[in-house]
Amino acid sequence: MVKSAPVVKSVLRKIASILLLLLAVLVLNSVLIYAAPGDPVEALVGEMGGATPELIAELRATYGLDRPLWQQIGVYLGNVVQGDLGHSLYYDQPVTTLIASRIGPTLLLITTALFSAIIVGTILGVFSAQRRNSTLSHFVTVLSLAGFSAPVFWIGIMLILLLSVSFPIFPISGMTSSDGTTSTLGYAMDVAHHLVLPALTLGLIYLAFYSRLARTSMIEVLEADYIRTARAKGLSRRSVVYKHALRNAILPIVTFAGLQFGQVISGAVLVETVFAWPGLGTLAFDSILRRDTPTLLGILFFSSLMVVVMNLLTDLLYRRIDPRIKTS
Amino acid sequence: MTQNLLSVQDLEISFRTVAGEVQVVRDLSFELAQGEVLGIVGESGCGKSITALSLLGLVPNPPGRVSKGRILLEGEDIVTASERRLRQIRGNDISMVFQEPMTSLNPVYSVGEQIAETARAHFNSSRSEAWERAIEMLQLVGIPSPERRAHEFPHQLSGGMRQRVMIAIALVCEPKVLIADEPTTALDVTVQAQIFDLFRDLQHKIGAAIILITHDIGVVAQMTDRVIVMYAGRKIEEGPVSAFITDPRHPYTRGLVNCIPRLSLDPSDDPEPLFEIPGVVPSPSDLSLPRCAFAPRCRNAFALCLEKSPPLLPVAEGRAAACWLETEKPG
Repeated sequence: MVKSAPVVKSVLRKIASILLLLLAVLVLNSVLIYAAPGDPVEALVGEMGGATPELIAELRATYGLDRPLWQQIGVYLGNVVQGDLGHSLYYDQPVTTLIASRIGPTLLLITTALFSAIIVGTILGVFSAQRRNSTLSHFVTVLSLAGFSAPVFWIGIMLILLLSVSFPIFPISGMTSSDGTTSTLGYAMDVAHHLVLPALTLGLIYLAFYSRLARTSMIEVLEADYIRTARAKGLSRRSVVYKHALRNAILPIVTFAGLQFGQVISGAVLVETVFAWPGLGTLAFDSILRRDTPTLLGILFFSSLMVVVMNLLTDLLYRRIDPRIKTS
Repeated sequence: MTQNLLSVQDLEISFRTVAGEVQVVRDLSFELAQGEVLGIVGESGCGKSITALSLLGLVPNPPGRVSKGRILLEGEDIVTASERRLRQIRGNDISMVFQEPMTSLNPVYSVGEQIAETARAHFNSSRSEAWERAIEMLQLVGIPSPERRAHEFPHQLSGGMRQRVMIAIALVCEPKVLIADEPTTALDVTVQAQIFDLFRDLQHKIGAAIILITHDIGVVAQMTDRVIVMYAGRKIEEGPVSAFITDPRHPYTRGLVNCIPRLSLDPSDDPEPLFEIPGVVPSPSDLSLPRCAFAPRCRNAFALCLEKSPPLLPVAEGRAAACWLETEKPG
């Protein structure tokens, strides 16, 4: 109990600084978006194919767009503090409802891609670090180079061409088929089937990164003095590599995973767009095109919330893995 | 002839480099008897540490390997032993304390666990038995409140404490041979003295033979029974410690002994300049010439020294030296 007190204190301090940070992000975002030229009514009218000046003025008044900029921003900030992210101009729904309905698919896609990439990447990295001149090791190097260089939408399109068009194994886009399957298992299988290609596309990019990171980190740790000590103790190879080396090598992986998981939404925009995946990424993209300011601001606010929450969780996880963090 | 505990015969260790394979240790032979403390002395880079690692089968390979010779532990050759057999020997029959206590312990495991896992690796003991044993060892190496300390992590301990933990790890299986590679170089002088007291104390209790690798002649004089002096990968002198201090035969050994600064209490005494051996240790790749490796730095060198490398020959009872001055007087 005595030990947990400083942890609680530092977590509370973190939360306080997080709230301040979120407020700053909110102000900055809304100023930027509201100050940008063009407004939702213009976009709406464009989609309708034109309207009379009277109708346009009426629409502007309904949405409060005729008021001065600082008033619009002020009203928005006031609402957000009360937990109201506003009303989508395009979907005619509260932004919170809209985000809630889209967060599921995005989380599903990101977690699948990120976690498979971390697991496979760590395994690849650990093996290739032990045999630095093996075929596997060279493969990891080439894979990470390719993964870093190839644009994510290109990989997505190539996978579609190969696995949906030439060999129609997986569906081209969407999250479900509209064949009205009703059983839960059937639905889950259907979603999983649709998930493969987008998750693979996103996962390959992450895999390139994590295999490289794991390899570098593992090589460094295997040279450490304490690994020599572990070997001099007569421990088994498995114990030396997985108990003594891996636990140390995994620290940078945890750091990056936390950071990247926080950036889920920006990371998934391209993949979601290519595969028409009904997640937050597509929603953000559409909101930009439609000048749907409240929705866009809501998503941006939600993203920053994810970033800080994930950073906090990473921090806590780090404390569990590395005892040195607790005292410093 | 009684069989010695450890017998190193014609050991040669080679490293692959861009310039081809070089021998960092050659023609090294020595014996270690039960309960004996053997000092291995020499400057940095003379092959002391790599010799120590070879006794555990831990010469980094690649680029290094034992290219010749035998290392017999109670008659069993370590050079040709399987990795599985080596694992049984490491930490159990032969164990090692390293130079750097700050980095030689794993930062993410408690010190108790790092001692206990060694016990578990070699004895069929349960987790709780091994933990009890770890606490006993911490007590033995003089760490106060060992039950509490066992749960602490290396970063919570001082350098001296960490080296005590390293010693506890090395001794937990009561090895026959303990190798200490400059165990106090990274520590304060006062802590050094404590650690050596501990070594001496534990040697009486456990009875392990100790190989003490150092460049500190003072430590050698206090701690060891017998001394080997290495220069550029070769043994150049061997003998009992008293003879080593009072009557060194090889000019290099004489230089080492003279390098110890003397303390003077008389303020009017003009301090004599500190003695040094001129020049540096030759790099292994410089050793292709057939001359005595020390000749370029030796003030007594004569023609023969530059032509032929001197063999190691007995110079007195239990003593040997590799120097032409001992056998061929310059004429």
